[in-house]
Amino acid sequence: MAVSFSPIRPLIQTGSNASSRWFSYIGLGIGVLLLLCSIQMYVNIQQLLGEKEMQKGGFEFIPISKVITNETMGNLEKNLFDQEDISELKSQPFVEDAAPLLANNFKFQLSGGSLIPFMTDFFIESLDNAFIDTVPPSFTWSEGQLTVPVIISSEFLELYNIFAPGYGLPQISEETAYRIQLTFTCYGNDGSRESFRAHVVAFSDRVNSILAPKTFLDWANQRFSPGMELRPSRVYVKVKDANDPEFLKYLEAKNYRVNKDKTQFGRRKMVLQGIFAGLGIFGLMVVVLALMLFSFYLQLMIARSRDSLQLLLALGYSPRWLGNNVSKRFIPIYFGVVLGALAVTQLMQYAFHHFVMYDRSELDTPVHWTVIATAVLLIVISLLTNFRLVRKLLSQLEP
Amino acid sequence: MTIQLQQVLPEYFEKSRSERSEVWGKDLQFNKGEYIKIVAPSGSGKSSLMHFLYGLRKEYNGHIIIGGKNTKQCGAEEFATLRKDVLSIVFQDLRLFPEQTVRQNIELKRQLNPFHPPEKIDEMAERLGIKNKLESRSRICSYGEQQRVAIIRALMQPFDFLLLDEPFSHLDDNNSQKAMDLMLEEAKARHAAIIFADLERIDWFPYNRLFHL
Repeated sequence: MAVSFSPIRPLIQTGSNASSRWFSYIGLGIGVLLLLCSIQMYVNIQQLLGEKEMQKGGFEFIPISKVITNETMGNLEKNLFDQEDISELKSQPFVEDAAPLLANNFKFQLSGGSLIPFMTDFFIESLDNAFIDTVPPSFTWSEGQLTVPVIISSEFLELYNIFAPGYGLPQISEETAYRIQLTFTCYGNDGSRESFRAHVVAFSDRVNSILAPKTFLDWANQRFSPGMELRPSRVYVKVKDANDPEFLKYLEAKNYRVNKDKTQFGRRKMVLQGIFAGLGIFGLMVVVLALMLFSFYLQLMIARSRDSLQLLLALGYSPRWLGNNVSKRFIPIYFGVVLGALAVTQLMQYAFHHFVMYDRSELDTPVHWTVIATAVLLIVISLLTNFRLVRKLLSQLEP
Repeated sequence: MTIQLQQVLPEYFEKSRSERSEVWGKDLQFNKGEYIKIVAPSGSGKSSLMHFLYGLRKEYNGHIIIGGKNTKQCGAEEFATLRKDVLSIVFQDLRLFPEQTVRQNIELKRQLNPFHPPEKIDEMAERLGIKNKLESRSRICSYGEQQRVAIIRALMQPFDFLLLDEPFSHLDDNNSQKAMDLMLEEAKARHAAIIFADLERIDWFPYNRLFHL
């Protein structure tokens, strides 16, 4: 049916309430702009702060402990982890694995060799090998072996080298440290006592402790403190992203303490993402409001043109054809408004990348594809609601 | 193509109306090519019947079947098709777009499903004596002129049934006769039926069947 709409156009009154129409266009434009900018900023944050763990690749290992408060002080039940806690941790989707850091459950003394003559009460811990960054093949122990290999936190060596001069002790290099003969002395609850030679086989940047092979500590705990239940105060978790907001929320909910430095990005990211999610929701609300305003305008337009439209229907014009043609007039406007907002978003992204972020390589100057997809979706939604509304209003006109 | 009326009675008429009427509450069939005259005094439901047939109102009991289809089950789109291809009407209240010119009013109907080329508008306007009004806004035309515009408009499309609801109420006999001749010619060209409802018998309508409403 090659029916022309042009003789019908003057029958539909639009002009007299142009201001309300323009208000709704401007409102729609602002809402769409807010929404698109929020999505782009959300993506920017993701790219800027998500970059850190991507550079490292693989997983992050983070020690967590329970927060000790005045109420839980001295209450080991509450401050130590049990098997259930660890299983629950392991079952979380953002946790790849978890392993307890087990400590000695008996009195333990450490003494240096002739090079560094000192003796001190100390602690020793063990951790699943898979969680240690540097595990040489020699890091094994079996019963009867008199020498115990240990892995020491590289920070300990640094600390030692800081205070050694003050005490008249020699500063030592890593190479020398490997050669130092240490002595472990273990005291049993029954008064027994046994000494082992020990030497450093590796330094760890990850684990802040003195680590002995698990086999040694399990044996020693059994030997010197039989029957005592062993519960860790620290648990190492292996995660893909230490800044994952879900992970941080979980830690907070469980009252677990974690090194803030490792997760500060995540915390900042959470706040920023929260702000932009809020802005995005606000933008969406403005879009909805603008569409509502526009629907009022459409209703008014159709009410004003009621007589003409009714007569056209009575003459035999199809309500679908009329509805489509009335709606079609607004297609360029919707396209214009949304594409305009998209262009401004692109401009803002360019300015943000170029002038605020000084062309950092993590960010892209073109807007993210999700922004374009949202713009397309908004056009489709506005057109669909528009078409449906006009058709519904026209069907109500039918006598 | 036929129109069947099965026990049609307006909801707002009492049952007894069907006893006196030859249309209300009866089973009737109108066929293509017939000239049907319905004589009806004021208030007997003449316009109601026309509106029921044309699908503008549905407040009646019984059924109207057009081309085998019960019109009570027709949606807006189906009625639009009927009004474009099968039914044409001259309303009693004319129903023109007041701000459009006479030509625009007629063209609005013609372009929907053209039976005639645009030049036919001039030719018919000439025959009915309103050629000089073609470019005038319809609201400034007299009732008689408007009535002739409504008649020409109704003849622009193909139809099987031409519904006339007091089409000459504002015309003198001479102009009425000219208009009737034109309508008869056009109906003949389509082998269409005319259903003509008026207050009284009109001599220049050569009806085959006469009903009192």
